[in-house]
Amino acid sequence: MSMEDYDFLFKIVLIGNAGVGKTCLVRRFTQGLFPPGQGATIGVDFMIKTVEINGEKVKLQIWDTAGQERFRSITQSYYRSANALILTYDITCEESFRCLPEWLREIEQYASNKVITVLVGNKIDLAERREVSQQRAEEFSEAQDMYYLETSAKESDNVEKLFLDLACRLISEARQNTLVNNVSSPLPGEGKSISYLTCCNFN
Amino acid sequence: MGDLESSQKLSGVSRPAEGVGGGSCTEISTELIRSLTELQELEAVYERLCGEEKVVERELDALLEQQNTIESKMVTLHRMGPNLQLIEGDAKQLAGMITFTCNLAENVSSKVRQLDLAKNRLYQAIQRADDILDLKFCMDGVRSALRSEDYEQAAAHIHRYLCLDKSVIELSRQGQEGSMIDANLKLLQEAEQRLKAIVAEKFAIATKEGDLPQVERFFKIFPLLGLHEEGLSKFSEYLCKQVASKAEENLLLVLRSDMSDRRAAVIFADTLTLLFEGIARIVETHQPIVETYYGLGRLYTLIKYLQVECDRQVEKVVDKFTKQRDYQQQFRLVQNNLRNSAPEKIEPRELDPILTEVTLMNARSELYLRFLRKRISSDFEVGDSMASEEVKQEHQKCLDKLLNNCLLSCTMQELIGYYITMEEYFMRETVNKAVALDTYEKGQLTSSMVDDVFYIVKKCIGRALSSSNIDCLCAMINLATRELEADFRGVLSNKLRMGFPATTLQDIQRGVTSAVNIMHSSLQQGKFDTKGIESTDEAKLSFLVTLNNVEVCSENISTLKKTLESDCTKLFSQGIGGEQAQAKFDSCLSDLAAVSNKFRDLLQEGLAELSSTAVKPQVQPWINTFLSVSHNIEEEEFNDYEANDPWVQQFILNLEQQMSEFKASLSPVIYDSLTSLLTSLVAVELEKVVLKSSFNRLGGLQFDKELRSLIAYLTTVTTWTIRDKFARLSQMATILNLERVTEILDYWGANSGPLTWRLTPAEVRQVLALRIDFRHEDIKRLRL
Repeated sequence: MSMEDYDFLFKIVLIGNAGVGKTCLVRRFTQGLFPPGQGATIGVDFMIKTVEINGEKVKLQIWDTAGQERFRSITQSYYRSANALILTYDITCEESFRCLPEWLREIEQYASNKVITVLVGNKIDLAERREVSQQRAEEFSEAQDMYYLETSAKESDNVEKLFLDLACRLISEARQNTLVNNVSSPLPGEGKSISYLTCCNFN
Repeated sequence: MGDLESSQKLSGVSRPAEGVGGGSCTEISTELIRSLTELQELEAVYERLCGEEKVVERELDALLEQQNTIESKMVTLHRMGPNLQLIEGDAKQLAGMITFTCNLAENVSSKVRQLDLAKNRLYQAIQRADDILDLKFCMDGVRSALRSEDYEQAAAHIHRYLCLDKSVIELSRQGQEGSMIDANLKLLQEAEQRLKAIVAEKFAIATKEGDLPQVERFFKIFPLLGLHEEGLSKFSEYLCKQVASKAEENLLLVLRSDMSDRRAAVIFADTLTLLFEGIARIVETHQPIVETYYGLGRLYTLIKYLQVECDRQVEKVVDKFTKQRDYQQQFRLVQNNLRNSAPEKIEPRELDPILTEVTLMNARSELYLRFLRKRISSDFEVGDSMASEEVKQEHQKCLDKLLNNCLLSCTMQELIGYYITMEEYFMRETVNKAVALDTYEKGQLTSSMVDDVFYIVKKCIGRALSSSNIDCLCAMINLATRELEADFRGVLSNKLRMGFPATTLQDIQRGVTSAVNIMHSSLQQGKFDTKGIESTDEAKLSFLVTLNNVEVCSENISTLKKTLESDCTKLFSQGIGGEQAQAKFDSCLSDLAAVSNKFRDLLQEGLAELSSTAVKPQVQPWINTFLSVSHNIEEEEFNDYEANDPWVQQFILNLEQQMSEFKASLSPVIYDSLTSLLTSLVAVELEKVVLKSSFNRLGGLQFDKELRSLIAYLTTVTTWTIRDKFARLSQMATILNLERVTEILDYWGANSGPLTWRLTPAEVRQVLALRIDFRHEDIKRLRL
């Protein structure tokens, strides 16, 4: 591990209804491509991109999951180890927005409680066909305490920003965690914790 | 002008001379000189003029020096004159000759070109004549061939006619026999239509009768008539019917089969296998005909048609499977069980056969789809060897679409989706059972659940692997990671948290308060069971066994990772799961491997607990008895100590007794860690009591002897050197052994030699002060 050339490693999992553009967002970010006529993802796809943020190498492991129902049990198994989830919907598809509470339930059930969730409204290049207003989405994300961003994988709008902002937040979160861990080792076990701690004295 | 002059006058800057070759002279006009009135200015101008004169002189000299060389060059040039005139004449003559030759060549070649043209036209004329003859031949041939029912011959004639250049037919119409040819052409077209009808009809009859030779005979004729698509579609219709009848037969057999049969548990997987094998055999058998008569790149079309039938049959088989095995119902029950809202619990063992069957079904499908992909892409590859990149990509897309979107793929994905949830349930429930039925046999280091749990996890991942579906495998690895890291580690961690019970003797020593504390803390954790009170020995053993379990878990996870890695290399070498498969697998596996470290951390926590609750409370009183042994002694007592050891022998004996208890019931690795903790503890605690004692010269010597025996003993029970841990104590013994205070300087600073002092100067003084025979002032006076 230490031989590898990076300072941070984060796992990001994209979830959301089928056809909202998860694969296109990932392709745009990792390869700079917008492949038209993209077929439905099967199972999960896996991409790696290393970015530099304030001089630190950050390796992003991006898991692009299939939106179709029949892959749900596969995709759910990836939630637990994710550092961040990108919950995506299509601004031109009311249905994909209406499914968000269901996705949030899944996150609640399977993801770690420390996970960072970002809500993304994709396809803003199709503004004339918009069905979900920005205000509505913002209100929703605020109520759920999520960061919200609108993107276009096709026009490359906000795609870099989405991943880089997320990487920044993950870094500061990771820093905070190590800080907390150093101050007091969070060992469980009420009365016994004292005896656990004394081990430091004679090592 | 006046402005310019005045500015020059003032600044004394001069303009560069124009027209004077290469000279750096300035032109100072006479007017300028005349206009000067000041002596100073005049002198300045004069000086500059003098300077310029010198420069000009130098240049002139240089030019004059060149005169000789220039003159000699002129002479040679004059001499070359006549020669040049000669050359010019020759050149003119040569040019004339070249022009002449050129004209001649032009003349000759134009004639050759004309000849060539004539020859080409002649060939074309012959070709046309041939074509026209062919046409006539075709017309006659088709009629006679049709009459004699030689359809191959007739089709060959029609094929020849279809291949003819349309302009030839136009030309022949315009000829003298135009009307006759027209009539013949009409006949030919009629013959073509008739032949098409006949072939279609005969093919239909042949398929109806299942007459394979006839079917193949007419199948070969379609492409001759330009009916590739139709031929393939009709032929596959025939093949599909065969597939369907065979599949229905097989399915009927399944429904009537004996459920006690050896293969009964995987009968649906077997049925699918038969279906796939049948189709594969068809592809294998007919690929050569298609390649020969329809050309390369047509296999895709044939398989596209066949896959439709395959999907239809798969749907039937899976439908029957779902019904007969109650697959959906089982899945729903499992789902409810996982959500803890089930009225009835499913026995995980009951799921075992169905899970195995589903993975087998998927493995067969993957194998079949891989076969199709290989066949089609190699057919495309050969066919597209000259094609553009776009065509190749288009073909690749078609292939992906066919195989990814076919009903077979979707159905299997659905089944696997359910499978993963059910396998997760199977794993979790079986692990819970193994934990509940945990037993410990005397003489063993670990208890049964560790082996059981890893057997289960290995079995579940192995089954997922046997589905040949990488996503399914990765999902199961993720779920196993969760099971081990959260659930099973939780079980072991809870057991360790119950603590290592203190012995009764210690309870008395520590007084009632601590006993109450122990009971209180165990009450808080809800682990206060009668068994715990009944036998502290059992609780002690349970703690030690759990420590061993934790260590073995950590080992087992590493082993599991290695085993999976080697199991999968075979899978990846077959190219299963696309290019990312390996990366996905590696990532999931490294998460699993990381759990090994979490178990290691847990082991450290447990060891620290053991050391602080079991080792330290025992060892501390033994060390404290050191204080009751006087180290302020005379010769006589020193000799008496020699015979009747006052402290260290008993201490070593106690340590040995205590550690032997652990040595028997802990794994060597854990025992080593524990002895390491013990030696550290002894070093720290002994240092404390030494600093509370007082010594004289012989007492110091006595302590040195005691320390040496202790270190010698501890060296025998640890596998690594402990010298380092006792470095401070050894140095203290050295100080306590000194003759005089100043003797310390023989060992200190520049005289320390290879010795590195672990004691600070203040500590050295503190230790020196323990010697009652050393004077305070002497110690104070020391310069350290």
